[in-house]
Amino acid sequence: MEAAGNTSAPVYGVAAEFQSARDLYHAAEKIRDAGFSKWDVFSPFPIHGMDEAMGLKRSILGKVVFFGGLTGFLTAVTLEFGTSSFLYPLIVAGKPTNLYTVPAFFPIMFELTILLSAFTAVFGMLIMNGLPRLNHELFNWDRFKKVTEDKFFVAIESTDPKFSPRSVKDFLESLGGTNITTIHGD
Amino acid sequence: MSSGHEPSTPGSHMFDYKHVGGRFLGLVALAIVSFAAVGFGAFTQTKQFAFSYLFAFTFFLTICMGGLFWTLVHHAVDAEWSVVVRRQMENIASLLVVMGVLFIPLVFVAPKLWYWMTKLPGQDLLLDEKWPYLTKEFFWIRAACYFLFFGIAAVWLRANSIHQDSSGAARYTLINRKITFASLPLFAVALTFSAIDWLMGLDYHWFSTMWGVYIFAGTALSSMCVLVLVVTALRNAGYLQNVVTLEHYHIMGKLMLAFTIFWAYIGFSQYMLIWYANIPEETTYYLRRNTETWQILSTALVVGHFFVPFLLLLFNFGKKSPAFLCGMAVWILAMHLLDIYVVVLPALHKAGVVVSWLDIACLAAIGCTLAAVFLKRLGDAPLWPLRDPRLQKSIALKN
Repeated sequence: MEAAGNTSAPVYGVAAEFQSARDLYHAAEKIRDAGFSKWDVFSPFPIHGMDEAMGLKRSILGKVVFFGGLTGFLTAVTLEFGTSSFLYPLIVAGKPTNLYTVPAFFPIMFELTILLSAFTAVFGMLIMNGLPRLNHELFNWDRFKKVTEDKFFVAIESTDPKFSPRSVKDFLESLGGTNITTIHGD
Repeated sequence: MSSGHEPSTPGSHMFDYKHVGGRFLGLVALAIVSFAAVGFGAFTQTKQFAFSYLFAFTFFLTICMGGLFWTLVHHAVDAEWSVVVRRQMENIASLLVVMGVLFIPLVFVAPKLWYWMTKLPGQDLLLDEKWPYLTKEFFWIRAACYFLFFGIAAVWLRANSIHQDSSGAARYTLINRKITFASLPLFAVALTFSAIDWLMGLDYHWFSTMWGVYIFAGTALSSMCVLVLVVTALRNAGYLQNVVTLEHYHIMGKLMLAFTIFWAYIGFSQYMLIWYANIPEETTYYLRRNTETWQILSTALVVGHFFVPFLLLLFNFGKKSPAFLCGMAVWILAMHLLDIYVVVLPALHKAGVVVSWLDIACLAAIGCTLAAVFLKRLGDAPLWPLRDPRLQKSIALKN
């Protein structure tokens, strides 16, 4: 089996190349059914239904975003009512400082809810994906550069409990993968 | 596809009137009786009739304009998902021709509704400043133009769509796209100015630059609700079973949520700008609707038109359930009815809510007429665009 990267460094995983999105999709279904947990697929474009084929669960990001939005909303409520209604009641244009002032406060509540939701979504997504990062072991493999062009890849990581270089190689071969390579770190 | 079925068995593409049976005649009879009652009311309580009729007319006009709007959006953005429900949008839109006929009674009571018509030049500076927009001649020319446009656009788009069912030619899709691009700006203008002429014109002193888009928000929302109800009724009768899937319901549910939020956004923006600026000539509208018993209805709108559907439609569980979505659709339509009621009737009953039997009679008269014509349209053409180039992709929709 070929190897990429510094062969004395720890093994990142075993990767295989596929020729089409369809092949990749069916390979992903079989890897999912074989019970692997630490693996990923790579393609030049998003493939519809791939999350199901990989058996990915619904992301918890949505729930995290809810709390981000809630924080923004409560911040606005506290800052607006706290400062303008309790600490130093502001009476502008004859409008009272009670609950009926709330229309003036809505835009800020709305904006802060949206702002913190968006921040949580973007930064939460980056953190959950382990981004940003400077390098990845797969870049040690020259063929992998084709992933932004016309080739499709699967990599099963060595941290997977079912991983062993030999059996994974045979398995990927049985799925129709070519150029199966062991990927080492730097 | 259903070409192998007998045309009249459920699951086929042609609507069979046996599902309606005698109820069709019942509808027609109810429409006639209601119109007779409305006609009686028109002579005994002319002013109440004028406002009740405008209220009912506006409610159904918004739904029909919404049908045209969704058809236009379908063609303009080259949508795939809506191919299977497009025929029903077209059917709803084609009722705009009937709305044009139903507008005629308003011609006779116009001065009672739009009281600027009774003023002479030089009587009110604010009216003179609005010359020549608020003149009778221009007013009626505009009304004719709105219905001319609505009628031509709705009938033409539907006719091309039906031609495609038999010929299968893709060029009808392209023709409809061209019609749509010409129609979109005209639709925006016709909807905005009809809302200004007929609703904002109830009090010519008052103005709001967001009026058109406020009415539009209710338009798009209410007709999406009617679409959900129509599609579900057809599915329950055995049609569209393998054509419209839960994925389509999911999208319609999402659009209902989107336009619930949009309505609240526009409604609040209009309210807040007027409330904050606190200029007497602008606040008259909200002053009347936020005092006396009107206050209760306005508050009910905030809760019922926004918070209830927003919270219920926000989560994923209901959007793929036809029964749940139908419940929401009925609720939102009731709220839309209340919305139009609070727009129109305070101009007549300045001291508080007064429900008249004419409100209900007018709703029944116009509603039954439209329902009867709709049933006729339903049976005239296949229930979905049989040979649209993207029909298969639309059926196989996945969110």
